[in-house]
Amino acid sequence: MAEPVKYISVVIVGCGRLGSQLAGQLSADGYNVVIVDQHEKAFKLLPSKFSGFCITGDATEQLVMQSANLENADCLMAMTQKDTLNLMVALVARVIFSVPHVIARVYDPQYEDLFSSYQIETISPTKLSSQAFLQKIQEYIDI
Amino acid sequence: MNRHAQYRSFLCSRYRNILCYTALICSLIGLLIALPVLLLLFFPDEWGLGRVFLLTGTSVFFGSLLIRLMFKPDLDNALGFDEGAVIVVLSWTVAIIAGSVPFVASGLNWTQAVFETTSGWTTTGLSVVDVASVSPLILFFRSLMQLAGGAGLAILMLSALTGPAGVSLTTAEGRQDQLVPNVRQSTRLVVSLYFSYVLVGILALKLAGMSWFDAINHSFCALSTGGFSTQPESIGNWNAFHVELVMMVLMLLGTTNFLVSYALWKGKFRLALRNAETHLLGIVALLSVAALFWSTTTQLYAGLSQQFRAALFQSISALSTTGYTTSDLRNWDDSSWLVIIFLMLIGGGVGSTAGGIKQFRICVLIKGISWNIKRFFLPAGSINQPVIWVGENRKVLTDEHFRHIGLHVFLYITIWLLGSYALTLYGHSFAQSFFEYASTIGTVGLSVGVTSIHASNSQLWVQILGMVLGRLEFWVVFLGFLKLGRDFPVLTGATGKS
Repeated sequence: MAEPVKYISVVIVGCGRLGSQLAGQLSADGYNVVIVDQHEKAFKLLPSKFSGFCITGDATEQLVMQSANLENADCLMAMTQKDTLNLMVALVARVIFSVPHVIARVYDPQYEDLFSSYQIETISPTKLSSQAFLQKIQEYIDI
Repeated sequence: MNRHAQYRSFLCSRYRNILCYTALICSLIGLLIALPVLLLLFFPDEWGLGRVFLLTGTSVFFGSLLIRLMFKPDLDNALGFDEGAVIVVLSWTVAIIAGSVPFVASGLNWTQAVFETTSGWTTTGLSVVDVASVSPLILFFRSLMQLAGGAGLAILMLSALTGPAGVSLTTAEGRQDQLVPNVRQSTRLVVSLYFSYVLVGILALKLAGMSWFDAINHSFCALSTGGFSTQPESIGNWNAFHVELVMMVLMLLGTTNFLVSYALWKGKFRLALRNAETHLLGIVALLSVAALFWSTTTQLYAGLSQQFRAALFQSISALSTTGYTTSDLRNWDDSSWLVIIFLMLIGGGVGSTAGGIKQFRICVLIKGISWNIKRFFLPAGSINQPVIWVGENRKVLTDEHFRHIGLHVFLYITIWLLGSYALTLYGHSFAQSFFEYASTIGTVGLSVGVTSIHASNSQLWVQILGMVLGRLEFWVVFLGFLKLGRDFPVLTGATGKS
């Protein structure tokens, strides 16, 4: 458990299965974590090692993101279910709040070009899992 | 049978974690107990008592270090709230028992020693020690316990060492409000704010005319809203307005929510002023000073400034749950006692070092009452939730808040009434008992003569219970003991139930 030298602050949008797990791990590793979700109930998914702040509200509203202290954040992760919402949140973070690192989850691989044209890094679960499946098949064939 | 064994091994692994963190806190307690030895540099003839501090402190320190080394913590599994409660209950028990040893060595009996120690860690300030004749090592140790207990043992441990991730421990000790979204950085900020206040306080008190020793002790105990003094007449010993002024500022800082303190520190004065607690503090302080001035101090003192000073100091001391006095409260009349009881019941800010019901809870209940009335005049389907400002955050109040706070206040009042009833059984008057138990459960420390060296042992135990419940806010104590009671038979294998 290496302690980060400077306290790096991360804002996570969307407290689903992935967002909550990630928030818990980052928190345990010593990052400053703020997690935003529209529904208060979503925060029940957070593991007990999470020690950051929870903000209830619509992440597309600038006031909500201001209260998450996004202008001072080092990184934003957009992890909602909707690609378009992730794009919107990531763009606002990049352009208006000028967050240095913006990462978005994108289900539909088609959108990835759109994201990268705005210098937003993407992680696509669809692509990752298809690669993993292909690799498994490859292993069977090799055997 | 198999399932039972599985559950047992699961519990064992959880309790290894619990023991490990308890041991970490206990090693801190050991260091704190050994710390007064440094005073031997200035008071070399106190070696006899210094040896007791050294022996107790080092044996607690190395004992807990041994336990810590025996059980490796499992860092991946964070603690739950109930496990935090067990750690808090265990470590407070160790703190109280180990802290009593030096008092026993200085001539108190065990009950009195446990009472004094509990009064120290819980930042109450009720005392059965004769401060005029006792060793300076004991005086310093009392102040040190209040300093540590005010910040919270879990907060001190988390800020100093690597501890569990997550907030279960700090929440269990009643220090859940965080300044920044990271528990470790938050505890470090709280501790550095706290200690810088303490340092400023020491310097200011020295400038105001105290000796270094008095300044250190009073700064410790004012900021932790503890209220132990080194003088029998408490702050009345100096009878100087500038000393009282510094003390009042320190007590107010101690009773301010650290979130508000942090907002002030960052220069956000408007945010601090918007806090509901700040409003309540202002209004209540104003009303009580007026009431005390009008009904009591004009009769007791000659000059106008003297009358005003006494009313102001006593109001701040009671509301901040510190418990310093500038005059003997036994001479004050019934109406002033009642005002002070109100102040002690309200208490300080949530997330501060103070006790009492806490101003935040009172604010929420007041909002709830006005909201309840307003709802009748709104259309049936309208959505309207009250909001309240805490630190820099706007909080929407839900039914869950009201339920929690309503239950808490109900428990608080019930235990206060029961405790006061118990005190009347020891031959104290109606007014004295209510006053003294409000002071006990609110961890205030103002006394009208019920707590003294002549008090019976069983009465002191009633008060010890009140102080612990008041400081740890009931649930943690209940939960911690219940969990221990349920898990202990399984761990020792005494039961066959799965």
